[in-house]
Amino acid sequence: MESLRAELLPHLEDFEAWRKRCVRNFAISIFVIIPLLVAALILIHRSNPEDMDVYWFPVVIGGMLIGGAYYVTTRDYRSSFKRKIIRPVIESYLEEIDYAPKEWISRHKYEESKIFLRWPDRYKGEDYIWGKKGKTDFEFSELHTQYKKTTRTKNGTRTTYHTIFKGVFFIADFHKDFKGRTLVLPDTVEGLLGKFGQMLQDVNFTRPDLVKLEDPEFEDAFCVYSEDQVEARYILSTSLMRRILDYKEKFGNKIYLSFYQSRVYIALACRRNRFEARVFSSVTQPGLLKEYLADLELILDIIDDLNLNLRIWSKE
Amino acid sequence: MLEILFICLGVLVLGYFLIYNSLVGKKNDVEKAFASIDTLLKKRYDLIPNLVATVKQYAEHESSTLEEITALRAKAISGNVSSEEAVNLNNQLTQSLGGLMVAVEAYPDLKANENFLQLQRSLNETEEQISASRRAFNAAVTDYNNAVEMVPSNMVAQMMNYQRKTLFEIPEAERKNVDVGELFDK
Repeated sequence: MESLRAELLPHLEDFEAWRKRCVRNFAISIFVIIPLLVAALILIHRSNPEDMDVYWFPVVIGGMLIGGAYYVTTRDYRSSFKRKIIRPVIESYLEEIDYAPKEWISRHKYEESKIFLRWPDRYKGEDYIWGKKGKTDFEFSELHTQYKKTTRTKNGTRTTYHTIFKGVFFIADFHKDFKGRTLVLPDTVEGLLGKFGQMLQDVNFTRPDLVKLEDPEFEDAFCVYSEDQVEARYILSTSLMRRILDYKEKFGNKIYLSFYQSRVYIALACRRNRFEARVFSSVTQPGLLKEYLADLELILDIIDDLNLNLRIWSKE
Repeated sequence: MLEILFICLGVLVLGYFLIYNSLVGKKNDVEKAFASIDTLLKKRYDLIPNLVATVKQYAEHESSTLEEITALRAKAISGNVSSEEAVNLNNQLTQSLGGLMVAVEAYPDLKANENFLQLQRSLNETEEQISASRRAFNAAVTDYNNAVEMVPSNMVAQMMNYQRKTLFEIPEAERKNVDVGELFDK
């Protein structure tokens, strides 16, 4: 790690200078936008408008201009940082690993997992990373999927987008062979309603059959659906249930798993954007590269934490 | 007044049918789960002759264990054993196979044999599937027992003469086997 940092330090210093230029340009654009916004508000006020909604116009446009200014002034810096700094950091972690900042997990794979049933009207992502750790092939990326909602207002219709999933979508080769589909989803109903909640899950027609497992802690945290009762238990051995619980604890947020055709799909929900260049704080700080590595490690730990490299069954 | 009586009666009859059907469904689930254990045990019987033949070539000192395994298998597939006996035989078989898998650690030639490794993997897989099918069976039985004992389905169950079913006990030796399995990979 230290040698990598020493190697990248000249680049980091260049980027630090570039970053400062970006911040300066962004500040200048704000100094232009804000007075324009104030002037527009004063003009509107002078004309004594009847409709108070008119005041929102310059505010919304001003907000969009500021967002646009941030995007334009930092775009090249951020993408160049990913290529020249984040890529070598990621590639230093494993022998077989690749990084494509502008690509993401295909929509087909996301849908095939059947974790989220709602059709996404917007599907985008970034930071696609793939490779092999031990005997296990893996791929993941950040994803953000949204659905569209159109509501009628007095002035016509308004369209808003709502999040279905935001976080990291991870796919790995599972160490056992199986055919059907088994889903492990965070439990929202049973925790609140207990036995009655379980009855509700049982009649959920959008999912396959409910699987009731022996581990009470696992049952409280997750709700399992599968096309095959025996196969679900073959996949979710008593030790894997504990391992999933431990990983959930470590990750500290909602996780969704789907087992399909000898692969495991894991959706890790989180709001934070990983693998991004810093804009408003220094990039030459000592701990920065370690933070990128820690983000990567937390995701790739799934492979060891779920023991996916244990190959004592027919699948090699 | 009469209408209310009819409605109440209708609700009762409908409730009876629903509970009746759900009890039959649960009983059939138990039978289905039991059948899947049977299928997987057969899969293991099919593996044994190959395994015995391969081990025999390399590990002469294990002949008594091999004979024991062969005898247990022959008895289990002979057909004239009660279900209780069959469970016992299979538990013994699990134990002997587990013992054999530890013993073969002493034969490096055998452990390098591609055919044996493949058999060992298949055996591990089948053992794990058997244990999964037993867990599925226990879950189905628990579901059924709950319905037989809980109000109001217990009243219908009594009329149908449905009794509690017993759970499959997973033998101590089998629980230990999981650790043995992990040993191989290290």
